[in-house]
Amino acid sequence: MDSMITAAALSLARGDPLGALDRVALRDDAPALALRGIAMAQLGDLARARQLVRRAARAFGAKEAVARARCLLAEAEIALAVRDLDPCAVLLADAHRTLDEHGDHANAAHARYLDIRRLLLMGRLDDAEQRLAALDPAGMPRALRAAHELTAAGIAMRRMRSQAARAALARAGAHARAAGIAALGAEIGWAERLLDAPAARLITPIGARDVLLDEVERLMSSTALVVNGCLHAVHHLALEIPLARRPVLFALVRTLAEAWPQDAPRETLILAAFRIRHPDETDRARLRVEMGRLRTVLRGAASVRATPRGFQLVPRDGHEVAVLARPVDDDHAPVLALLADGEAWSSSALALALGTSQRTIQRSLEALAAAGKIQAFGQGRARRWSMLPLPGFATNLLLPTALGVQ
Amino acid sequence: MKTTPAHIVREYGPFDDKPGVHGVSFDGKQLWFASGDHVNAVDPDSGRLRRSLAVQAHAGTAFDGRYLYQIADSRIQKIDPDTGAVLSSIPTPEGGGAGLTWAEGSLWIGQHRARKIHRLDPETGAILNTIESKRFVTGVTWLNGELWHATWENEQSDLRQVDPRTGDVLQSVEMPPGVLVSGLESDGADRFFCGGGGSGKIRVVRRPE
Repeated sequence: MDSMITAAALSLARGDPLGALDRVALRDDAPALALRGIAMAQLGDLARARQLVRRAARAFGAKEAVARARCLLAEAEIALAVRDLDPCAVLLADAHRTLDEHGDHANAAHARYLDIRRLLLMGRLDDAEQRLAALDPAGMPRALRAAHELTAAGIAMRRMRSQAARAALARAGAHARAAGIAALGAEIGWAERLLDAPAARLITPIGARDVLLDEVERLMSSTALVVNGCLHAVHHLALEIPLARRPVLFALVRTLAEAWPQDAPRETLILAAFRIRHPDETDRARLRVEMGRLRTVLRGAASVRATPRGFQLVPRDGHEVAVLARPVDDDHAPVLALLADGEAWSSSALALALGTSQRTIQRSLEALAAAGKIQAFGQGRARRWSMLPLPGFATNLLLPTALGVQ
Repeated sequence: MKTTPAHIVREYGPFDDKPGVHGVSFDGKQLWFASGDHVNAVDPDSGRLRRSLAVQAHAGTAFDGRYLYQIADSRIQKIDPDTGAVLSSIPTPEGGGAGLTWAEGSLWIGQHRARKIHRLDPETGAILNTIESKRFVTGVTWLNGELWHATWENEQSDLRQVDPRTGDVLQSVEMPPGVLVSGLESDGADRFFCGGGGSGKIRVVRRPE
């Protein structure tokens, strides 16, 4: 590899994209295009970066399969950064196959980590956890070991295991420092701040307050019956009752739990579950049917007792009841939770990540934008949504390791 | 044209904190290699790293009997191997350089994707003449009056002896698949030292009979 390419690649690895551009700005051969693309990505111009790595991939062509695959990997990483999750998956599959076939194990592993992060963004925790467990980071480059721990921390945070998350972030920080990649360190710092921000609102009979993930974890390991509005599940000791797909039952149990140790009136329950303000006899009959279903799913954790004016939750063995809610608890909270990562999202990526229709997401985004909580930039298909006032991409790109110095 | 498979007789490295080998040279006693921000000396008998000079080192390395020459960015630095001091520098031809060697009072520089080898005036850097190659050129070296260069194209490398006047390929030594050559030097007798790029290794290849 020639001196200008090597010098530019070393500049990039040191986090000096302008130094790299100085050396290759006027060159249009394939390695120079690739390095220019990565430099632009580091400078935050992801649209230009994408064009350049695509041109580089074409210029390398089928004969230089490994170099081309590394360009696809870089393009996949840019796609992930702008939350183009579907194209990202296609690029990763293509790159991964070629890199594995040609024995470029470090970059093949990098492709796997990107794919796990994609799954994590889409909320596919089980898939992400399984694939991460199948990877052995020992012997991998430091930057990838940091990525491994960062991903493990992300999974632990979403699983509400704060101690595991903190431990993983500490290990990620050590690897990032050893690798000397500042952008990676910044991303770990961001995750640490997230861990120190309120993870949920705790609602108990004596009032509601914000709690950190640590307290959530302590609550989960206590004997209390926890109605978890973040995960839409009921949790008691080792028992986990997922109700994400049964919104009526979840609304009922949450209303009962918020009223506990008192009973909840029928009207309140019907309003929460069916959104009916002036119920008639058929609504009351429907409530009895749903209560029967709720008794069945809660069996082993709690019972539901009928009272003169409504129903009362009775946890097993006289245990306490607590309700966890999202820190910002409105209909758009899931969208805000995703945008809270500071990146810019397309509405299709949000729909993909939340498993809902693009139309629903669009309505949420418009309502949030009208309320001044989020901002849009770009037009048409290129439109992105972000919590920040400007598209300040804190790019977490590991691209220098993807192309590296030959 | 005769083609033979490479006979690799020894490997050095990879060396700690020196992930890449961008150029190699031999001063008769020790092997020198460029690793980005250092030029390093290796004892060819023990294979141990002896010393490292803190100088920019992005591609080919050469030795003229007294001084080292090292490509860094778009310059060729003349380095005192005892002190590591950069004594002077000349510009590379447009586009930088990959391989570098010294022979007959001239510096010879290979340009990777330009597929060219230039003979340079070591005082001014002026191009004296140019040999076109059919393949991407990495290292260049002279061995008993023969001009050899390494190629690296389409994930495959070989060592080629070329006619220094016409550029015609006289013979080729093919490296095994996936074994790539980033820099080339000879011991002046019957062996080549091949820089292994990102593998961080230096391989010794016997010159075919």
